[in-house]
Amino acid sequence: MSEKGGLKSLENGVLAKDLCVACGACASLCPYLRSTDGRIVKLHDCDLTEGRCFDYCPRTEVDVAKLHQAVFGRDRRDLDIGSTRRVVGARAIDLELRNRGQTGGVVSTLVSLALEEGSVQAAILTERRADLLPRGRIVRDSREVVTLAGSGYVAGPTLEALNGGSFENEDRIAVVGLPCQITALAKMRVSALDRRTPIDQVVLTIGLFCTWALSYGPFVDFLRKRVGRAEVGKMDITPPPERLLLVTTDSETSRIPLDEIRPFVRSGCDVCLDMTAELADLSVGTVEGRCGWNTVIVRTRAGEEILSRAEAVGAIETESLAEDYLGHLREASRLKKYRALKALEGKGYTDGGYLRLPNRLKRRIMSCGDEGP
Amino acid sequence: MSIITEGRSGQKVLLMGNEAIARGAIEGGVKVCAAYPGNPSSEIIGTLAKIGPELDIYVEWSANEKVALEVAAAASFAGIRGLAAMKQNGLNVASDFLFNLNLTGSIGGLVVVVCDDPGAISSTNEEDTRAYAKIGDLPLLEPSTVQEAKSMIPFAFELSEELGLPCLVRSVTRISHARGSVELDDPVPLSRRPHFNTGRPLVNVPALAFHRKLRAKLHRCRDIFETSEFNEYLGPEQPEALIVASGTPGAYAQETLNLLKAEDRVGIIKLGTTWPLPESFLVRQLRRADVILVAEDVDTFLETNLKALCAQKGRELGIKRFLGRGSGTLPDVGEITPDCLTTAVAEILKISYEARPPEYARTAQEAVSRYAPTRQVGFCAGCPHRAAYWCVKTALALDGRDGFLVGDIGCYSLGFGPSGFEQMKTLHSMGSGAGIAGGMGQLARFGFDQPVMTVCGDSTFYHAALPALFNAIYNQANFLMLILDNSATAMTGFQPHPGTGQNAMGRQAPVVDIEAVCRTLGARIEVADPYDLQGTIEAVNRLLVDEKGVKVLILRQLCALVRANRGEKLYQVRVDQERCLGDGCGCNRLCTRVFRCPGLIWDKEKGRAGIDDAICTGCGVCGEICPQSAILTEEI
Repeated sequence: MSEKGGLKSLENGVLAKDLCVACGACASLCPYLRSTDGRIVKLHDCDLTEGRCFDYCPRTEVDVAKLHQAVFGRDRRDLDIGSTRRVVGARAIDLELRNRGQTGGVVSTLVSLALEEGSVQAAILTERRADLLPRGRIVRDSREVVTLAGSGYVAGPTLEALNGGSFENEDRIAVVGLPCQITALAKMRVSALDRRTPIDQVVLTIGLFCTWALSYGPFVDFLRKRVGRAEVGKMDITPPPERLLLVTTDSETSRIPLDEIRPFVRSGCDVCLDMTAELADLSVGTVEGRCGWNTVIVRTRAGEEILSRAEAVGAIETESLAEDYLGHLREASRLKKYRALKALEGKGYTDGGYLRLPNRLKRRIMSCGDEGP
Repeated sequence: MSIITEGRSGQKVLLMGNEAIARGAIEGGVKVCAAYPGNPSSEIIGTLAKIGPELDIYVEWSANEKVALEVAAAASFAGIRGLAAMKQNGLNVASDFLFNLNLTGSIGGLVVVVCDDPGAISSTNEEDTRAYAKIGDLPLLEPSTVQEAKSMIPFAFELSEELGLPCLVRSVTRISHARGSVELDDPVPLSRRPHFNTGRPLVNVPALAFHRKLRAKLHRCRDIFETSEFNEYLGPEQPEALIVASGTPGAYAQETLNLLKAEDRVGIIKLGTTWPLPESFLVRQLRRADVILVAEDVDTFLETNLKALCAQKGRELGIKRFLGRGSGTLPDVGEITPDCLTTAVAEILKISYEARPPEYARTAQEAVSRYAPTRQVGFCAGCPHRAAYWCVKTALALDGRDGFLVGDIGCYSLGFGPSGFEQMKTLHSMGSGAGIAGGMGQLARFGFDQPVMTVCGDSTFYHAALPALFNAIYNQANFLMLILDNSATAMTGFQPHPGTGQNAMGRQAPVVDIEAVCRTLGARIEVADPYDLQGTIEAVNRLLVDEKGVKVLILRQLCALVRANRGEKLYQVRVDQERCLGDGCGCNRLCTRVFRCPGLIWDKEKGRAGIDDAICTGCGVCGEICPQSAILTEEI
């Protein structure tokens, strides 16, 4: 029996507790909640005891086993990074895509291909304009995809575009999102509530690896003090031990130590279990130490099919990953889980808070503590 | 042409208390009348304004009560008769002038009518203004009936001229707004040409000498009051107890004794002149009994002064037992009602009496709930203030810095309640919102980081917000002021004001342009239409982030009642019930549960919203808030 609630519960349990990650799953569903400047704002009280806002939120009950079943039709196998069919290194063949993408251009390539070949008619992507505020954007023209490539490390309500967008009944939709957003999509799928979002038309979900995201307002205020009003281009984080945020503007590249950025990490990210978007069809991240290559975790048949077709048409090249790299990936993912549980404990949630974890998984996560994070 | 202008001596007519006061002013030969509207006083000048031109009386709605009193005093200074009317709060505004006017004195008859509101039926307080008479050494009259409300005014003019002092007449809601039979008199024939005697300056320096003169006038006044027809004793020679009453309790006392069949057991000392007290008259009457119940609205003004008198005259009067509000025999606050007075007297006389038997109370309650719809105190259908507060609420939530709005007096005061979405966080006196915002706007230096907004109506802007605005601009406070310009003094009955282009007597008048005034002062100005929710929200948010100085956003939209009275409607509104989501997730009755315009109705049977065509004024705002676009608005 899953937990039920309405806006009041969302407000008390998530918004007031500063657990909101501004994924946008609750936005554009009703006139009570609005996303603005990277925040979800309650405008009026709603007295429904059961509502979609609460039901879809990735910070209300997340029953890991149940969601896994719903998405994959089977139990979760890999305790560290979720179900996988294969994990490969990959990059775009097209140089422009590769350069404009955050790392290897794989996400842009796959979405462009899906739109081009017509396996989807619309893709929900995240747009970052000059104000650096991430917004959900519905893209129907494959040529537009590349203009939206790249990460701003800021959380934004991408899913609002799915909730509020106008789609034809026959549209098939791809969504590219952060792990929280992919979790929200899974919760939309299993929700028993009426007035579904166009979730049943979503045929492809591409998850992006994520360790945290930043709060828009405070981070942008900070950034503007550091780099001025200049238009911000690419942003990137250098690998350890250096760990710098590189912010490129027209005139220069600022190198900001990550420790200065950490205060702007959303508090809701601290309790996140999911580094690799475990409920996506396909998850894409960066291979540390392998410049210009993405790590791709293929999880479902839909994910496998789009990647295979991209390889077949010569849009993507793949390579197998070294075992020790996979080990690092697992360890990093497990460590995020461990930190999340510790953070929940620190916030007073001794019962795991919003997470319902199978015991096996819980034991596995807590074994991190034995090794010492 | 009306009964108020045409009635002749001896004629008995039915008048509202405030109309009676207006008639009294005519009978007293008034020439200049001025007021700022405020319940329950508004109809005095409202009545006079309609007939002013016909009777060659000058009537004006002044910008505030202090100015009104100054205008009326000017007539007096020039030797003709003037009257100023105001509600209790208004006397506070006028008091600074009043407490110098008492020292210089007046020349032509000058009457200040103050209408108190015991029980705060249409006010933010139930202030008892009688204390002003005592502080200011001024004569005070209190009518107990509508007849007295009329009769006291010509007397007050005569008294004022005899003493050279303004005379206070204190009415209350139950006199001003009640109707009663009034026997008319003819107006006094006066034909004076106003002229100011430059040889007799009215300057109260040195103050002490003038104070001495004032005290002498007050003593003379006491002598006059000793034989006043407005004070009387009703009852047996040797009653068991006495009721001393002024104002409406004076009339209630007679009802009470009648009801308890106790006219031969209790005597009533009905006082119409309550300051200074007619001491000899009172000593004569108080000798009759040792138990004294004092019945008055609101404070223990009479009670305390009577106790002082009895202490002073202890040798003659002996020890009295005082009962009243001070002893807890009558309620500490609120109006004296016939019920509570009767209960108190019954208790004193040990008569078994139930003012409101429980069975009757239950039946009455049932009847009320069956036949009278529950109505919330709130904005009218289509009121632009509701739209404005919707925008305030939304904009502050979006702004996200725990900003808030402070306000003051006007229709928009209701912004503290559900119909204004509980947005008004402070509510005090006319113009106090701007003053408080100015103070808040200085606190940033101590770490205060909440955005501050204030709101005032157009009429309040002219009344008392302007000095606060000057102050804020001069002292560089930071806040956003919303001026809800609905082109009406709507709350008190649509009196014209300096922005309406019309004066009290219906003649054309220059428009004092709020926007131009604010611009000249150097505030950043924007103007929006509150019916355009999105545009208004954006304007508020834009101005809230501007941290420099005073910003003014004028929200201009005609009062919905004014539009409805003109028979105009902007839109024909209907609900497409197929599209309406009702109480489903995604709407949950936003229009009828949150927005709550009275023009919207909840169709319980269908579980859908609807429009009450008889009430809807066609503003179209609900069409903008409906998430389903199910409320359809067609331009008319």
